[in-house]
Amino acid sequence: MGSVLALSSSPGHHKWPFSTEPPPSRWDVHPAHWDSPPRWERRDGRLPNPGSFHSLHRSCKDVFPHQIEGVKMIVNKTLSSFFKVSHTLHLSAVSPSYYRFHVEHLQSDDYSKDKDAPALIGEMDSSGSLNAHALLHLSERVRARTVFQTQQSQFVTWQFETEYRGSDFTAAVTVANPDILRESVILVAHFLQSVSSGLVLGGELVYHRGRAEEGGILTLAGQYSRPNWVVTLNAGKGGAHVSYYHRANKQIQVGVEFEASTRTQETTTSFGYQMELPEANMVFRGMINSRCIIGGVLEKRLTPLPATLIMGAFVNHRGDKLQVGLGVNVG
Amino acid sequence: MGGVLAASPPPPAAGSSASPGLTVPPGFGMPSVSTVVPPAESPLPNPGAFDECHRRCKEVFPLQMEGVRVVVNKGLSNHFQVNHSVLLSTTGDSSYRFGATFVGSKQTGPAEFFPVMVGDMDNSGSLNAQIIHQVTSRVRSKLAFQTQQQKFVNWQGDAEFRGEDFTATVTLGNPDVLAGSGIVVAHYLQSVTPALALGGELVYHRRPGEEGSVTSLVGRYTGDNYVATVTLGSAGAHASYYHKANDQLQVGVEFEASARMQDTSVSFGYQLDVPKANLVFKGSVDSNWVVGATLEKKLLPLPLSLLLCSFLNHQKNKVQCGFGITVG
Repeated sequence: MGSVLALSSSPGHHKWPFSTEPPPSRWDVHPAHWDSPPRWERRDGRLPNPGSFHSLHRSCKDVFPHQIEGVKMIVNKTLSSFFKVSHTLHLSAVSPSYYRFHVEHLQSDDYSKDKDAPALIGEMDSSGSLNAHALLHLSERVRARTVFQTQQSQFVTWQFETEYRGSDFTAAVTVANPDILRESVILVAHFLQSVSSGLVLGGELVYHRGRAEEGGILTLAGQYSRPNWVVTLNAGKGGAHVSYYHRANKQIQVGVEFEASTRTQETTTSFGYQMELPEANMVFRGMINSRCIIGGVLEKRLTPLPATLIMGAFVNHRGDKLQVGLGVNVG
Repeated sequence: MGGVLAASPPPPAAGSSASPGLTVPPGFGMPSVSTVVPPAESPLPNPGAFDECHRRCKEVFPLQMEGVRVVVNKGLSNHFQVNHSVLLSTTGDSSYRFGATFVGSKQTGPAEFFPVMVGDMDNSGSLNAQIIHQVTSRVRSKLAFQTQQQKFVNWQGDAEFRGEDFTATVTLGNPDVLAGSGIVVAHYLQSVTPALALGGELVYHRRPGEEGSVTSLVGRYTGDNYVATVTLGSAGAHASYYHKANDQLQVGVEFEASARMQDTSVSFGYQLDVPKANLVFKGSVDSNWVVGATLEKKLLPLPLSLLLCSFLNHQKNKVQCGFGITVG
């Protein structure tokens, strides 16, 4: 919904949370409201930059637990301040087991804590599937991103995005899967404008063209933030997506999400919460869905070992299916 | 042995083989065979129940479980305990099971009270019931019933007699007077030396039209820190070796051969106890390419116990993982 991936053939958000989408890239993380000076506290009267279009719903989506299944072991190794490597081994009961190798190379180590840092990211699967992202800061205001995804030997996604971050607006243009031989392309244009200290308005225009058909979809977006909550709305001909995020206190965060799609003609309401217990080194995320899916994932840092234990279970009451997952993250 | 005899001088020429012309000085002849009864040997211990022979080795191996299990144990009094268990299964059906345990007041040992009545009921109506009672000081009897929903699947009774250095058990399984069928099992286990116990099992089964019997022999040798057991019979062989390496590590190796299914399997299992971390880890490797592990941790100060389990079948490329929480 509102993303290029929903139109392409790779598994997208409409099957979430039972989908197998890759974890969010570094560029999509929503700037947290309590880390950097919040926009309603700017003293100089200028409105802040609203961030990127992809990260509008991100603070609500981060509250929900990710689907976990089978046994997964992740070993993270930091080779230097520029270079990070991680090995993932996933033994699964429903999908084929795989080994994945992930590499991140930061362009400069000044931004090592910043999620928006320019970087080269590559991931290779044991079946040969490749996932490559390149994030570049062309200038202080212009950023470029390139994404390539292959399913074994076949290219599934190849997209190029350019984003201009003005003083109080963001404009981005994405060219996805341009294919000269088949004469098909997907063009996406995003625009977000800070209208007031809490309000951001914008829109997305998607134009897709194939050999036999072409069409365009316009979606309007709005986001209103307050110190403790954020409400975001995307509405257009393709459907609607409303999300509400609330931070109750330092430990509890709550998210409610409503998605309606005209293409699949169905609506879904989800309620999720995240509970952090820093004294117990524990984070618990739970969710319940209008599709009768209940899930919970518990993450616990096993100090003094540099390891994190993840346990999760998802129950689909309507289909009477249960998925249980265990994971260990080392390093 | 022979202490009394050495003190008395041997009778001259009665049992000695000295050559003629030589007199044997007193005390240097062969003691004669006398009819003094040798002092009693230290008594042989009771070898225990027949079913327990392979038990120590089997306890080292992890139990396979899948899905999510929540067990709540509640002790209502010294005699009565109740448990609820909910199992959400990934492969089969989810179930809720209610169990009750009653322990009587007749005490026979430091921690043994009789009669013991254990029953549990499934949400589909399947029942498991057992009554164990110490009838006399040497005879213990057990009745067990098992139903699958409303149909009785198993009903058996047995009586076990524990002698000084032997155990004999007779079990009558699924006796059906109307159909003329049933199974009779007789066990006998005898302590031959303080470390060695030998015994046998005779199974006689009868159905209208056919009857047959299976015999097997059992030998168990207990060392300082190891137990080796062998069962040989017409139905197959089963050998197990249990070794306690130190306070924390116990190891078990098991070999099973079945004549009916015509296959053999070897398993290696180990158990690691870390009492300081309230942790018990059990792992096993099998000749069927099955690798499994179980981790059990008590989450003090809560009366909770967490169980993580994962089994991997390399041959069929299947993985099963489950976890459980036990409360109380």
